[in-house]
Amino acid sequence: MSTAREEILAALRGRERGGMPLPAPWRSRQQFDDLAARFTATLTGLHGEVIRAASAEEALDRLGDVLRDLGTARVVVNDEPLLAGVDLAARWPGIAWHVVGRTEGDLRAFCAGADAGVTGADAALAETGSVVVSSGPGRSRMVSLLPPVHIALVAAGCLTSDILTWAAARPGDLPASVTAISGPSKTADIEQTLAIGMHGPKRVIVILYGES
Amino acid sequence: MNEVSFHTFRADAALAIANPHLQSAVDGATLKFRDDRLRALADLPDVEAMRDHFKAIRAATLANLSEHLEQFERQALAAGAHVHWARDAAEATQIVIGIARQHGARLAVKAKSMTSEEIHLNAALHDAGITPIETDLGEWIVQLAAETPAHIVVPALHKTRQQVAELFTREVGRPLSADDIPALTEEARRALREKFLAAEIGISGANIGVAETGSIVLVTNEGNGRMVSSVPPVHVAVMGVEKVCPTWDDAAVWLELLARSSTGQPLSVYTTAITGPARDGDADGPRELHIVLYDGGRSSILGTGYEEVLQCIRCGACLNHCPVYQEIAGQTYGHAYSGPIGAVLVPLLHGLEQYEALPHASSLCGACLEVCPARIDLPRMLLDLRAEEVARGVIAPPEQAIEKSAAWLLGHRRLFGLLLDTGRIFQRPLVSKDGLRVPRRLNPAGDRRLPTLAPRSFHALWDELATEEEAALEAIPVKRAARKPSRGRIAALIGASVVPLVVLWHLLRRRGGRR
Repeated sequence: MSTAREEILAALRGRERGGMPLPAPWRSRQQFDDLAARFTATLTGLHGEVIRAASAEEALDRLGDVLRDLGTARVVVNDEPLLAGVDLAARWPGIAWHVVGRTEGDLRAFCAGADAGVTGADAALAETGSVVVSSGPGRSRMVSLLPPVHIALVAAGCLTSDILTWAAARPGDLPASVTAISGPSKTADIEQTLAIGMHGPKRVIVILYGES
Repeated sequence: MNEVSFHTFRADAALAIANPHLQSAVDGATLKFRDDRLRALADLPDVEAMRDHFKAIRAATLANLSEHLEQFERQALAAGAHVHWARDAAEATQIVIGIARQHGARLAVKAKSMTSEEIHLNAALHDAGITPIETDLGEWIVQLAAETPAHIVVPALHKTRQQVAELFTREVGRPLSADDIPALTEEARRALREKFLAAEIGISGANIGVAETGSIVLVTNEGNGRMVSSVPPVHVAVMGVEKVCPTWDDAAVWLELLARSSTGQPLSVYTTAITGPARDGDADGPRELHIVLYDGGRSSILGTGYEEVLQCIRCGACLNHCPVYQEIAGQTYGHAYSGPIGAVLVPLLHGLEQYEALPHASSLCGACLEVCPARIDLPRMLLDLRAEEVARGVIAPPEQAIEKSAAWLLGHRRLFGLLLDTGRIFQRPLVSKDGLRVPRRLNPAGDRRLPTLAPRSFHALWDELATEEEAALEAIPVKRAARKPSRGRIAALIGASVVPLVVLWHLLRRRGGRR
């Protein structure tokens, strides 16, 4: 390809020591008795919020509570299996819904003006209180980023110990974007004073449902 | 390009030391990071073994760097990314400008990236008619003030809330109060949100490049890394060639240690893995992803005695634990990379002649080595760089002459003893209760203390001790060899006598080095 490429690679090849195999992978040594409890404690400590629900159906009830308490008028939602059979407009009248990939119109503009974004999660990391969300068809990166509140519906069964266990079991073909979200966006860049909600959501509310 | 001579370094250090706000800001931030780091690392089982493992990963990666980079390139291309290679800053900036022009971009939003600071990307974009906007709050403040970062993790450490309020007032055209930091942050959120939505191109660095999948990993707390890689139609990431990591298992170890060592968080708020541009059918995301693999002198460090410095992951732990950084702060180093890592890396990347003072910006206390997640032996490399300066004649002849005379003097016991005796007489007018008064010229901040010469020298004490031992040995009939003064006592005596001399010697050296 380019000269720069060849020159850099030649310089590296001429200088690198060679040999020295990689060590065998480091495996997580964390042992949590209760993944959900650890996840909840960590995320709460990071200014996130966790609501427990016994079942998927109860999770939808809790979602309704949260939306009502927030007083949301515009909500954008990823096209998650949990919500696939739900008639959102009928169940929660008074809210303007945008379902990613289904609702017509400018997704970006809707996200930028939405009161809340609702996503599912591929995984959740107990050690770090993280929710792992991916891009894909019906799954927008902006839903968990632009609105001031991010609500994540997380099945307790997708809890894993930490990023090491996540990496060991990761999908073979990674989506274009995978993000581990550990609490609300924050900064301490002015006089080391914590301010929540710099660019991303100011609140992260996880509805953790089912048995872990 | 900057130049950090002994002269400019000392002048800037004196300014930093005399700035009370800067002093308390640096102390506050670094002490907090230190406490939080300890707490965060304590949460990991076998963390010391994990650090050893991480060092082994980094060393093995560098040993076959070309192979890992080629795999990274192959996988990134397969995922649909464009991969570019840049030998130097001019090439890297030209590539970024070329991509921006191709898309008719006038506005570029940037996530925090030390590599882009290194290549002075903002200035180059600006000259090319493209407006770059820094979107990390601290970087934005520094950009608005037209300054350079004070810390690699918290760039605007040195700015007061009043200064920030003034800068933002000018930017938004409305008077803003300095009293309410969350409100100032909210203003920045609003102003920068407009930029994210309007920009035609997003620019970032890359914390890690995972060869196995051709992914880049971006880590931020504010979410600007996600913004620049999600909202604009084109994303360009500039990554140093040393940031490649073979597998996801290895990258996970890297991530377990990065935020903990840096800000003392278990993970940063957002850890994003980007594998190619948006796929067909994806709801959103950039149409194009460009990865610029940047050498910028790194390949010339590989295979030398300084190779280890390429294991750095830019966590900033060495800054937070460095007593010298704590006093002089980032700008004094004259480069985006400051602290112990900057003191080693900057002269290697840009030349010892140009950054002659940096290898001396260390007390060699070893704290940087102790806290580095990759256990990079910075103190050793600082010493090696100093030795190289002497060998290459970077050290001024007067200083070399002083050091040589000092070495000669220390080798001549009687003459040295005579000088000490003389010194004891002549120091009298300078003795105060805190030690010797140091002349103003050598003590710009007024807080330098020099111990007085001890009433009796080490040699005198030694002779006395030997006499005492002799007497004791005569009284007790045991093997003489077993009754020699203990090594601990000898070391203590040597320490007590040599320390004042070394301090004096250092003061002389500093004078000699002044140009």
